[in-house]
Amino acid sequence: MRALPNRIRRVILIGGGLVLVLIPLAILGVVIVSAAGLPPAFLRPQVTQPIAFPHNTHVQAARLDCTFCHRNVTTGDAATVPAVEQCMFCHQVVATDRPEIQKLISYWQQNQPINWNRVHRLPDHVHFVHSLHIQRGFACSTCHGAVENVGKEGVQQVRPLKMGDCVNCHRENNGPTDCGVCHY
Amino acid sequence: MGVTRRDFMKLAATSAAGAVVFAGCSIPEQEFIVQSPVRIPEDVLAGDENWYATVCRQCPAGCGVIVRVMEGRAKKIEGNPDHPLNRGKLCARGLAGVQLLYHPDRVARPLIRTGDRGRAEFRAASWDEALRELTQRLQNLIGQQAGNTAVIITGPLTGYRAEVVRRFARALGADHFQLTTPDETVVRTAQRRAFGSEFLVDFALEQASYVLSFGADFLGTWLSPVRYSRGYGEFRQGRPGRRGTLVHIDPRFSTTAASADEWVPVKPGSEGLLALSIAHVLVSENLANPAAVQAITAGAGPAAFNPFRPELVSEATGVEADRIREIARAFGRTRPAVAIAGGAAGAHTNGTFNLLAAYALNYLVGSVGVGQPVRLVARPPYGNVPYTPNPATVSQWQALISRLDTGRPRPVQLLILFDADTVYHLKYLGFEKVVGKAGYIVSFATLLDDTAAYADLVLPAHTYLEDWGDEVTDPAPSYPVIGFQQPIVNPFYDSRSFFDVLLTLARSVGGPLQRELPWPNLREAVRDGARQLYQSGRGSVQAVDFEAFWNGVLQRGGWWDTAAAVTAVPTPPNLPTEPPVARFQGDAREYPLALIPFEPIGVGSGGPLAGLPWLQAVPEPTTTMVWQTWAEIGPETARRLGLSEGDVVAVESPVGRIEVPVYVNFAMPSGVVGVPFGRGQRHYGRYAQGRGANVLEILAPLTDEDSGALAYAATRVRLVRTGQRVRVIKYEGAVPPYGLERERPVEVTRG
Repeated sequence: MRALPNRIRRVILIGGGLVLVLIPLAILGVVIVSAAGLPPAFLRPQVTQPIAFPHNTHVQAARLDCTFCHRNVTTGDAATVPAVEQCMFCHQVVATDRPEIQKLISYWQQNQPINWNRVHRLPDHVHFVHSLHIQRGFACSTCHGAVENVGKEGVQQVRPLKMGDCVNCHRENNGPTDCGVCHY
Repeated sequence: MGVTRRDFMKLAATSAAGAVVFAGCSIPEQEFIVQSPVRIPEDVLAGDENWYATVCRQCPAGCGVIVRVMEGRAKKIEGNPDHPLNRGKLCARGLAGVQLLYHPDRVARPLIRTGDRGRAEFRAASWDEALRELTQRLQNLIGQQAGNTAVIITGPLTGYRAEVVRRFARALGADHFQLTTPDETVVRTAQRRAFGSEFLVDFALEQASYVLSFGADFLGTWLSPVRYSRGYGEFRQGRPGRRGTLVHIDPRFSTTAASADEWVPVKPGSEGLLALSIAHVLVSENLANPAAVQAITAGAGPAAFNPFRPELVSEATGVEADRIREIARAFGRTRPAVAIAGGAAGAHTNGTFNLLAAYALNYLVGSVGVGQPVRLVARPPYGNVPYTPNPATVSQWQALISRLDTGRPRPVQLLILFDADTVYHLKYLGFEKVVGKAGYIVSFATLLDDTAAYADLVLPAHTYLEDWGDEVTDPAPSYPVIGFQQPIVNPFYDSRSFFDVLLTLARSVGGPLQRELPWPNLREAVRDGARQLYQSGRGSVQAVDFEAFWNGVLQRGGWWDTAAAVTAVPTPPNLPTEPPVARFQGDAREYPLALIPFEPIGVGSGGPLAGLPWLQAVPEPTTTMVWQTWAEIGPETARRLGLSEGDVVAVESPVGRIEVPVYVNFAMPSGVVGVPFGRGQRHYGRYAQGRGANVLEILAPLTDEDSGALAYAATRVRLVRTGQRVRVIKYEGAVPPYGLERERPVEVTRG
């Protein structure tokens, strides 16, 4: 093999060295940060939503059940967010003078979907089936926290919702822990 | 080196290396979006699938498909398990339909020509502008009593889709031509004579114990390959202890030949003679039904077959006399036996005769009729509409070309095209040289095809997954089947149905057009057909009222009547006493090779199929070649010409030349060269454009004398080395074979 020019060798040595040092450091960093009780690394920073939707108003004041809007949660994999049309069933008449409701009306009139920013996102390669968990009697708040108290600041994730979290809960509740239960 | 937590966080946050480390682990931003659709129909649940039934339009067979739809998007196409033609099976072309729907180069909006004709330079336009223009032109033509200067060219159409176009043309006084493969034209002509039915017969291979196939690549691309493959599976493995025998007669080693117990390479164009010789053996050894012999020979009796004694035809067919006798005896003694014919056997100037002679063998062994493997199909109660396509002949195309060229007997002031790429498919007639002389060209296209490149107005047409429609299935599986096509998704682009646009135009133009076309859209026209089926009270869907019936046929993907059967046994056809001999273009010394063009499984005869990457990448089964056009020659021809795989040769015929790489196929007889159809497009989007060569360019316009279809295997060629070499793209050799084949799986005994 012909010797490489010195300049390139230097670049490879330094670059390789940096990679070798930085990757363990990065992993170490995540561990340290988590252990120190800082905001957990798995949480996304608080996200703003296209419409400041207050869950508390709908649950506490309007007394709606979760399934009134997340209507697929008892029957399917995804809980699903409601269609704009469903919001409009009430908001054609309710609180139409509020600025946030007017945003909603404008989506409806322009025939545009609302792109909400996702708060809960499970890792790739895992299937989570909402309906089975609800049928076993778990409350929405077990995973999602007290959403009914959250106002216009927006919902935030309260649990890691990673594999360790899932497996712990499955063990505590005698749930199955075979790989194929979630990874299929 | 002491690194505190704070230092590390600083380093990670500020250094480029830190950014790389973390960016690599992050999740793409779009995955953090949850969409609230504007509306959710009751039957759509996010994350839940819905399956809708419709008709496949990737070839004219008309298989039933079901499509998996999630959140309003088509995800996957499968065979419809209810549909009697394909019973849940589907071929590669059918599966690739989603690639047509989502093709990145689909015509997404109306286009108006800005450059010279053929250059495909357009500006975007609105539907309003396009339809205004078109309505104006139609009104002008009608005002000048010149409706008969319009010409409509479509692909093969049946049912109410055909009826809409037929009435539009009739009200306008325009000519309507249908462009289809030459093979279908010959097969229809020969079967109409052989079996006396307006429909094609069903070859129920699952009923047969012996299949003798003349050129029909029924396991590859011929007529209704999924139906035949299904029958073939039963024929081989579906009956314990009884494995059917398949003998395939074909100059080229096709997919069907590769599946056969015995492959008989025959001299191109002599298939009919071989069939008569087999008939001679059946008759002389008392294996034939005497009544059928009388009918076929027009009363002349067994003596009529004397000129076809195996010894006398052995040289002309290239098959030894003993082998002919063996095949005939096995065919005559194994019941039930079927003779099936098409493809290369019909692609000669004596094509209809070749097929007719082969079909007649079925009568000699009593295989035609109810309970037999060759079955006639009854007429469905579907109203007074065209039940079968009406393909134009080569001489009709020649007349149209001369009319475009000279303006006589009358000019072509308006040319409307849908699903008919005449510039590509009529290359052998030079259609591209005259198409520019038409007054105004309107092309309805999903992908911009080679003819649309000449159009003044290109209108985005729905794909079959976005459109309504119907299909009188032909060949049908022993009983009548009407396939119903429904839009399974909303249009992906700003496209419209060709048929709906015709109906819209008829309304805005008024007069006879409006009177002839009473339907607001194609859906209503198809519902008229469904209403007749409902009123007949027959068939697979029984319902309390028409709306329930309509839902029923849409849910099942069609209507069929298993009880409808043709009980009368047709009269066998008379065979000519002087069998016509195949003529070829090109002197045998100057052009020593017979050219056999064939349809590869993936891209077929071309058209939009070539635009779909999945189909470009389907390996042609006997060569495993993908993404290109090639010349397939045998080892003996390769040795003689000093050619090996990858040598680029010019395939020269008396009328043209194309350059393609050589593939040496050890099963190819000497004196024959195979070149696949389907590539060499100038347009059709990024995946087809400029890929391979169009073999139609070098075909002489010889026709089958009886049907008038192109005799596409009647051109002789020579191969001329260009000196270039390329690496051919093939699957063969890319993956080591499974360790199963300890012995030689194929023994080649003939050169």
